[in-house]
Amino acid sequence: MKKLIYLAFISLSLQVSAQLDRSVMPKPAAAATIQLKESEVFTTKNGIIVILSENHKLPKVSFDLTLGYTPGMEGAKAGLGELTGSLIMSGTKNRSKDVLDKEIDFIGASLTANSTNLYLSTLTKHMEKGLEVMSDLTSNANFPTSEFERVVKQYQSSLLSVKSEGEAMANNATVKVNFPNHPYGEVMTVNTLSAISLEDVKNYYAANFTPQGAYMVIVGDITRAQAEQMMEKHFGSWTGKVPSKPSFADPKKLDGNQVYFVNKPGSVQSVIHVSFPLAMRMGNPNNLKMSVLNDVFGGNGFGTRLMQNLREDKAYTYGCYSGLNFQNEGGWVSITGNFRNAVTDSAITEIVNELNRLLSEKVSDDELALTKATKTGSFARSLERPQTIARFAYNIQRYGLPTDYYKNYLTNLNAISSSDLLELAQSYLKENNYNIVVVGNEEVLEKLKKFDSDGKIIQLDEFGDVKQAMVPADISAKDLALKYTLAVTQTKDLKSAMKKIAKVKSMTQNSTLKSDKIPFPLSNTEIYTNKGIRAEKMEFGGNVAQKSYFDGKTGYTFNMQTGEQKMTDEELKMAAFEQALFPEANLANNTSAVKMELLGIESDGANKYYVLKITQNENAQSINYYNVKTFMKEKVTKIQTVAGETESATSQFDQFLDEGGFLFPRHLIVATAPITFDINIDKIEINGVVDLKGF
Amino acid sequence: MRKGFIFFLFVLGAFTAMSQTKINYIEYDLPNGIHVILHEEHSTPIVAVSVLYHVGSKNENTDKTGFAHFFEHLLFEGSQNIGRGDYAKLVEKNGGALNANTSQDRTFYYEILPSNQLELGIWLESERMLHAKVENVGIETQRSVVKEEKRQRVDNQPYAGFITEMFKRAFPTHPYNWVPIGSMEHLDAAQEQDYVQFYQDFYVPTNATISIAGDIPIEQTKKWIMTYFGSIPKGQALNLYRDCMAMDDVKFTSKYGMSKEMFNPKDYGNTKDKNALALIKKYSETPINIRRTQKDNTKINGVITDTIFDNIQLSAIFMGYKIPDQKNADSYALEFMNEVLSGGNSSRINKELIERKRLANYAGSFNYGLEDGGLNIFLALANDGISLPEVQKELDEQIRLMKDQLISAEEYETVLNKFEKQVVESYSTVAGIAENLADNHVYFGNAARTNQMLEMYRKVTREDILRVANTYLTDNARVILYYLPKEK
Repeated sequence: MKKLIYLAFISLSLQVSAQLDRSVMPKPAAAATIQLKESEVFTTKNGIIVILSENHKLPKVSFDLTLGYTPGMEGAKAGLGELTGSLIMSGTKNRSKDVLDKEIDFIGASLTANSTNLYLSTLTKHMEKGLEVMSDLTSNANFPTSEFERVVKQYQSSLLSVKSEGEAMANNATVKVNFPNHPYGEVMTVNTLSAISLEDVKNYYAANFTPQGAYMVIVGDITRAQAEQMMEKHFGSWTGKVPSKPSFADPKKLDGNQVYFVNKPGSVQSVIHVSFPLAMRMGNPNNLKMSVLNDVFGGNGFGTRLMQNLREDKAYTYGCYSGLNFQNEGGWVSITGNFRNAVTDSAITEIVNELNRLLSEKVSDDELALTKATKTGSFARSLERPQTIARFAYNIQRYGLPTDYYKNYLTNLNAISSSDLLELAQSYLKENNYNIVVVGNEEVLEKLKKFDSDGKIIQLDEFGDVKQAMVPADISAKDLALKYTLAVTQTKDLKSAMKKIAKVKSMTQNSTLKSDKIPFPLSNTEIYTNKGIRAEKMEFGGNVAQKSYFDGKTGYTFNMQTGEQKMTDEELKMAAFEQALFPEANLANNTSAVKMELLGIESDGANKYYVLKITQNENAQSINYYNVKTFMKEKVTKIQTVAGETESATSQFDQFLDEGGFLFPRHLIVATAPITFDINIDKIEINGVVDLKGF
Repeated sequence: MRKGFIFFLFVLGAFTAMSQTKINYIEYDLPNGIHVILHEEHSTPIVAVSVLYHVGSKNENTDKTGFAHFFEHLLFEGSQNIGRGDYAKLVEKNGGALNANTSQDRTFYYEILPSNQLELGIWLESERMLHAKVENVGIETQRSVVKEEKRQRVDNQPYAGFITEMFKRAFPTHPYNWVPIGSMEHLDAAQEQDYVQFYQDFYVPTNATISIAGDIPIEQTKKWIMTYFGSIPKGQALNLYRDCMAMDDVKFTSKYGMSKEMFNPKDYGNTKDKNALALIKKYSETPINIRRTQKDNTKINGVITDTIFDNIQLSAIFMGYKIPDQKNADSYALEFMNEVLSGGNSSRINKELIERKRLANYAGSFNYGLEDGGLNIFLALANDGISLPEVQKELDEQIRLMKDQLISAEEYETVLNKFEKQVVESYSTVAGIAENLADNHVYFGNAARTNQMLEMYRKVTREDILRVANTYLTDNARVILYYLPKEK
């Protein structure tokens, strides 16, 4: 590699081209000058702190409103703020949602809102109209019941699919374990969502959407006088209470490494998050140093220690990064990556070693120089966006930074030495004091014990709550199959149960499926006969979307996109097992060879369940949950691996009602990663006319 | 400690300029034929240095597709004076960022640097133009990188192949038949000499436009450009020089009838040898003729319908209609039409297919305008459980409405307002401005078009939109592709 020579004296470049020596890399010209403009700050009569950064280069302007309250603990209603935010734009006293969308589109503007922030970007000449709509949202949002119900339903669906999303589960676990009894550690769950009422949302809005202490950052082609006038005209009559600003202590220091495990049956990769709270909030004088250290360690790019070690050197992963978070009420570091099962423990070893190394060794001159250069460059380039200047002013105001913080940014950056970084690491980090969250297949669990300082791994559920350790079951798998069979058939012994089942010559079940993602309901027909037939057909508007047919020996599946396909041998075996009216009856009766294993008793807070694992073959299994009191099957998770990809679907059943002497669920929710169905069983007919037309 | 950090002085100044919606620039040609465009603005101490080469996949031979895009990678490998792999490092170490992109029509390279590193940027780009390393070792490395890129961005992306499939059918006889990523087999089969030839054919001054925007001192910038780019030999003399640097003497002598010893490698133009001087003179007077392509005015032969099975969850439909080249005045009306159909929440396709009828998870339309012709493409990803014929019926209905009735005055104004904001936003970064100026010069022969966009849109009437819909959205001449999930 050629060595590039820097000229030691003032640039030669003015000289004529004939003498140009191309092998000499040009040196930088004289120090560039940044016009880091001062922003203006003023406060309105009703208490809004306005930060104005005039920039007349282009005829556009943005209004960025951040409310003044500090989100507090939501407890049993965790997620209330988020839900409220999702509903802000669903209408006001003066405008329906449709009108609102149209008005914003018409002026070519964009307007977004969440629970703490509203943002409008528009050409200056249309700002009046944009602000009219924006201020309508801050004062007059009216939360129509229909929108509340629609959005709650959307959240319900997405919460159900959390179980199939490793990254989401790891995030939930990470915030919970680092921030107990702290708003950052609160996660919306099915239970907390169902505790939130429309009234709660309205109250949240009324309490927190208040002008006092809010920040309005205005950037662009607008003068001070105009800004004052706009604020007065559109937000002058906005009133509200004093916002609440609870404060929260930093989390307790960790005491040794703690491993948390979230089971994701069937996964071929583990999601790993190694994290720890950092006693450093936004505005701490050491923020900049810490971000330099983090960049060297595992910030963006390929050159970091984590990437070099885990990807370039060991090829354990496609990417491994360290995220540094400073916020108003706390800070934390989280190192994240996906690793295949076989190297899950080796990856943790490397991550922990790299973290520990920060405490014992200085970073090299090369690492430090590259990081400083990259940071310097991105600082300079960021100034092209007028929003940057305003963000600086906002940070100074909101986080109490020194007023010359950004003026001295580069000077301070360049002054950082590798000894500073070592000292910093030693004062904020502690060797082997990390929360290690692993979401993955149970097969990796045993190998994780060595990382836990007391060898006791804590298992969490999908929302990061401690999972009650499964209690060993007090009955056998076969007993369970029997009890379930007796319960659904409402009989006293297996013999009468089998007899009762045998009397069912046929059953036809009609249901209606609804999903947010599909505008109209689908209808489903399922047919069972005791001659070995199981047929199912899903239709809409007279078209068959998909169907399947099994006659006891052969069968096919069909969907409108791929057409008809014969069942494979594996599929036939599964179909044969599932054909039965109650497959468990055959397990109890020893007439099925399918493997089952009773894993134990699990509790979800409200109820306890027997957990039965049924393994059809190496690529297909289902985990069934039976209520320990009623023995009803209330939940089933099916896991299937097709071409190396694992898919799972979770069904929840309720409303068990009698039909012909049997208890059948009349309602269920089926969640898969892309879509969730809410299904009502409309009709169950036993021994009626069997209509197999169309199969 | 490395040198090269930038030390900024912070000067706080009052600032009361009026907002501008006009980009000022100067442009001129260097004696060797390079076109230069400079835009000066001092709001941020950064500069975008870019070079556009008027070569894209349409300039490739049918048996060497993928070359133009391959060069976008290869030309970061280094030069006579920049070590292998150092190109990007030099930029990053000096606080800059860089990238490049390739289309059917051109290849574009740029660096964004602190403005005191302007000379560095000019030097880097001049090294690329004069004597980049086009040799086997770099070719090998970049072959595997490009293959990874294809895997990640084309093969592994659902629906990503639709552009390829669409153009293959709509342009049977024009080089738009293939797309920039090209064929991995072609890249594998090609020899070093094929790559050298491509460099010598297309990476030459008369095919290049330098566009620099940002915090630059104009006069000094011109001087540096003259120094670094003006010294690049003219005409075939450039390739004589490149051969002199890259070939061994035996090959060189057999090609030029004279030993390369006769040339001064450090200062090639300054040889004392008369014959060598004469050869340089002769070659500098021999222009390099760039192979250009013809416009494609052919029509699609009837309705071409095909089904493609891909690794996707939702089935999808793509419909393509031939439209004229982007220089054609109807292009503005077509853009207008597509905005009415699918720009923003209140647009027709969004409201009807996605929100009201919920047939599609995503749907839209756009015009893919190119130098020699283009396509207007409609696409929709069907919702789970929705059949493609249903979706097609609704798309066809939207097209029919567009052909039967004038758009409403309100739609017209909404789109015009949106264009106005888009135009303003296209002026917000120096890199964007540099690229716009260069594109408009190369494609339209008119850098000033950068300032005329809104005017062009305003000239479009509702009647124009009705007319172009009827002219180009022809039911009996289009490509329809059905994408279906592969069997599991």
